[in-house]
Amino acid sequence: MIMETGANLDLERALMQEQLVQQPLKEVQIRKRMRIMVAVDESDGSFYSLKWALNHLVDDITPTNGPSQEESSLITLVHVQQPFQHYIFPAGPGGAGLRSLIDYFQHTAAFYAMPSIEESVRKAQAENDAALLSRALQMCKDKMIKAESLILEGDPKDKICQATEQMQVDLLVLGSRGLGKIKRAFLGSVSDYCAHHAKCPVLIVKPPKEITKQTSSKSE
Amino acid sequence: MAGTGKKVMALGMDNSEPSFYALQWTLDHFFVPFGQDPPFKLLIIHAQPPLASVVGFTGPGLVDVIPIMEADSKKRAQNVVEKAREVCNNTGVTNVVVEVVEGDARNVICDAVDRHHASILVVGSHNYGAVKRALLGSVSDHCSHNAHCSVLIVKQPKH
Repeated sequence: MIMETGANLDLERALMQEQLVQQPLKEVQIRKRMRIMVAVDESDGSFYSLKWALNHLVDDITPTNGPSQEESSLITLVHVQQPFQHYIFPAGPGGAGLRSLIDYFQHTAAFYAMPSIEESVRKAQAENDAALLSRALQMCKDKMIKAESLILEGDPKDKICQATEQMQVDLLVLGSRGLGKIKRAFLGSVSDYCAHHAKCPVLIVKPPKEITKQTSSKSE
Repeated sequence: MAGTGKKVMALGMDNSEPSFYALQWTLDHFFVPFGQDPPFKLLIIHAQPPLASVVGFTGPGLVDVIPIMEADSKKRAQNVVEKAREVCNNTGVTNVVVEVVEGDARNVICDAVDRHHASILVVGSHNYGAVKRALLGSVSDHCSHNAHCSVLIVKQPKH
């Protein structure tokens, strides 16, 4: 049985080889352009992943022939902001029930909304995000990589996966907090979710061991 | 060890379509555009499933069957190695090291990453749903959590 399938495979291989040989060199050059999306937040891990991606994935930017614009990879920085939940109260027993009740009221009557506070928090968040993204953009500029940035609001996991589909990225780069199994189950892991649900290849960059040791000693 | 000072890219393979897709994708994006000087050195790891997992029974006639099964298993592994080398050669990438190690894929891959100090590991993904993943176990999942380097999971686009 194995021999028969081997023979069929040989035939297929021969056909493939012919086709490959006929492909002109131009196609090879066009493939160079990879659309990479990097998710950033305030954590060090995500900046480390951006640095890693810049160092390893786009190291080649010295175009030998052809227009440089077409050949360079494009990086899209995406930052997802979780909507400010100003109706969270300290949770007691039945806190979840209380919260959903407050949710309901929030939408029907503005009992707990304090517009001035909400506005100032939004402003602060927007400034924070802008600073974050400008830091990230600066890193890309230093490496002479074209980068664009995108701020989305909502649940990070869903938004990132949606964004990869809409923008048809070739590669999604995420940092990883290095959570253990239990923490991961409780806190939820954006990198885990995206690795399973994103439609494009996902690269999870782990922080080097020194950083994880530092953070664990700091917390102690 | 990478004597040329290049970083090592490990690629875990089995005999499935997603694995070969991952191999082709990697070659296309990391090796082809760079011509003669790719930024990584490619190391392909194939885990040969240990016989113990296949042979679950004991019986009188077993002693004769084992060498045949071993030979078959080795042949299958060789087949995968050859196919992988062929794909690499077709894409014009010749400096590839292929390793076959016997054992459970998850451990084999993570071990190899440590031994060769790989800076990135690439694996394919079967795109199992939650239930299949829980039942069959996912190598890509395990590797992404336990490997000591960055992990790239390549998925086939759904048709």
